[in-house]
Amino acid sequence: MNRADMIKENTEQRKVQVKNLLRVNGLEGIEPGDAVKMAFPKAFDTLSPSAKRGYLNTEQFFNAYNLDTNGEFVYQPMAWRSLFVPTEIMYAMGLLPFTSEMVASQLAMTGAARGRIETAEANDFSIDLCSFMKTVAGGVIEDILPTPDVLITSTHLCDPSAKYAELASHTYKRPEFVLDIPYGLYDLASSRDEKDIKRVEEGVAYVHEQLLEMIAFITEHTGLTLEEETLRQVIRWTNEARTWLNEGNDVILQQFASAKKGVRELDYAANLMQTWGTERIVDVYKSRCKAYKANPAPDESETRPRIAWFHLRPYFKSPLMPYLDERIDISASQVNFAFWEPLDPSDPIRSIARRTVLHPAFSSVTARTEIAIKELPDDTEGIIAYYPKSCRHFHGGSIMENEMFKKAGIPILTIDGDCIDDRGDDFPIVKTRVDRFLKSIKKHPRSKKK
Amino acid sequence: MKKIGWFCTYTPVEILHAAGALPVGLKSDSGAEHEDVVLGDSMCSYVRSCMGGALTGSYDALSGVVIAHSCECMRRLADGWLYRQDEIKPKMLHLLDVPKIVTQSSIAFFAGGLRRMKEDIEAHVGPISEEALRASMATCNKTRALCRAIDALRKKEAPAVTGREVEKLIAASWEMPRETFNARLETFIADKEGQTGDKNAPRIMIIGGPGNGSLIKTIEAAGALSVVEHMCTGLRAYTGEAAFNEDPFLELADLYLTQTPCPRMLGKAAQDAISEIESLIKEYRVDGVLYYSMQFCSNMQMQWARLKNDSPIDVPMKVLDGDISTEINECEIQSFIKRLKKRRKRNR
Repeated sequence: MNRADMIKENTEQRKVQVKNLLRVNGLEGIEPGDAVKMAFPKAFDTLSPSAKRGYLNTEQFFNAYNLDTNGEFVYQPMAWRSLFVPTEIMYAMGLLPFTSEMVASQLAMTGAARGRIETAEANDFSIDLCSFMKTVAGGVIEDILPTPDVLITSTHLCDPSAKYAELASHTYKRPEFVLDIPYGLYDLASSRDEKDIKRVEEGVAYVHEQLLEMIAFITEHTGLTLEEETLRQVIRWTNEARTWLNEGNDVILQQFASAKKGVRELDYAANLMQTWGTERIVDVYKSRCKAYKANPAPDESETRPRIAWFHLRPYFKSPLMPYLDERIDISASQVNFAFWEPLDPSDPIRSIARRTVLHPAFSSVTARTEIAIKELPDDTEGIIAYYPKSCRHFHGGSIMENEMFKKAGIPILTIDGDCIDDRGDDFPIVKTRVDRFLKSIKKHPRSKKK
Repeated sequence: MKKIGWFCTYTPVEILHAAGALPVGLKSDSGAEHEDVVLGDSMCSYVRSCMGGALTGSYDALSGVVIAHSCECMRRLADGWLYRQDEIKPKMLHLLDVPKIVTQSSIAFFAGGLRRMKEDIEAHVGPISEEALRASMATCNKTRALCRAIDALRKKEAPAVTGREVEKLIAASWEMPRETFNARLETFIADKEGQTGDKNAPRIMIIGGPGNGSLIKTIEAAGALSVVEHMCTGLRAYTGEAAFNEDPFLELADLYLTQTPCPRMLGKAAQDAISEIESLIKEYRVDGVLYYSMQFCSNMQMQWARLKNDSPIDVPMKVLDGDISTEINECEIQSFIKRLKKRRKRNR
């Protein structure tokens, strides 16, 4: 199919798909343009940091259906992406990432995930598959998600995400590119052994070569090209955003009492993973950092136990989060850290490759747990890990992780939950476990032992 | 002779063989699933069984193991093994990273991983000369050629070879010196030449992972014939044809990455996997496909959804969700075969 025909086909399909999306969200009959205007009642610059985050995600979501924030038609070249594919190259080429895992969480937030999961299960997707992917699969079957120009996935962390893209590529008849990421190189990253250093560099070179192939693939199938100066600008935005994100994290970590109370700090950055390389992400993290600095720390007497949060949270409406919001403060959220060194604008693609292969979550359970033990602030009383039962990568390591933390004297509560599928949500049971955990850490505070 | 265990068919056993070790494939019934106290409930039963086996001494006769990083469950097996290394007798653990795509650069990258595997094996077992490696590659290629000869017999209208026989052969090969196995295959082929079997039995293709000890037995007891097993314990163990390369590691990398693909593979290799299934159905004149989907294996579960929703396969297919135990729902298999028998009769 030539490019013009593909744009025409995508345009027609996305018009139908956005209407289908509105229908499953209970907005049948509302014109897409009107629905978009309703989603953006205020200008970006006037919003709080958290609301800016929501604005950015929603804006990109509608852009993928060819709608700008005024509800006007603008054709948007778009790539389906799995969560750990680097975004800077896409932005520099004018290709909007549309992240399947984030789509699932957005559908869960609007209460539209369960129906999609049931659709997927009725169409031969196994019940024990990852609920993020089942939501997306159901969405594709019901044709509520926008047809991509191309699909780009990586082999990071989860098998189902890249595997599902294979199906989506075939369904939409759009080409797919897979980034094959070597495993476990983060374990070797600080080694001084020559063999280990060589192995890491081989991994970086392997991914660097694939990123170059990815650029050629995007150009071949979309006609978009990469301008070096644009990429350098994107890299500067990423580095600036990284600085503000980490500075904001430091405010929370270094103050005895949280600058930001409650659980609102959770997965702040995970929600924005698709936006690295945009100008707006700089604004979001800068505003967040400034807001934290301006927020005076509460008196010691007012403090609640500071807890480090691992992995994600339920994105569907659950009583758990408001319950925790009144009882704990988050000192650190595992998915909020920019773990990487600033990208090198003079060698951008290699530095993106290096960041990609040295992702700490794509390492052994032992390595990532040892880091957490080392880095956990002394004033943090314990850890709550929220792991979806269908997640082989995180849930599958939780027994080892629990044993290691307990040996290190760090209390941990692992909640076997789900981020997207609310059908097994059992708040009374989880509440009992949370209460018992909080009572225990109150009785034996870790911070006082130090 | 030192014994080195392996778990996944993406492990080039030639390297173990060339070091003078006996490669031992860890079968699905070799471990102890219920003894796994490390990995948790969301792992596939094969991996949990191997972890449990390691903790309870099932693999004490081994000097080490090679774990191929082929999927997320295998990744966790390596984690668990390392975590409890003090309680596990085989001291060597080599984690072999296996790419999920097939390109020139992935083959070169995998070859680098194989060179590291060779160094690790040399440190634990003994030196591997290039001559020894070439000789081992020739021995293993002979196995592949003999297996192709058996496959040719199975493609015939009235095959004399049953699925049970092939299952037993492959199970024996897992812990048998390769030269002995080749001799056994030659004898088997010679015995079968000129023989014929039941030409009326519905011909079944099984797709799966390590499978289930009762599966083929149940299929054949119900009057069907398993003619091709697209499984770790079937085609995937011995297919592929070596294309000579002056660098033996590049040759091995190419051979293993381009073999009959496991559902773990992605990109073009995953599309090829579907095409290959479609071709195999024609080549073996398959009447029906039984997809034995391992619980908690998302790669298989996704491939099944792809086959069921979006492939032009025109023979009946049935999915069985299960694990490595020998428990199986016989009625489900019997009723599927009954349906195939009726369909065969109607189409005759």
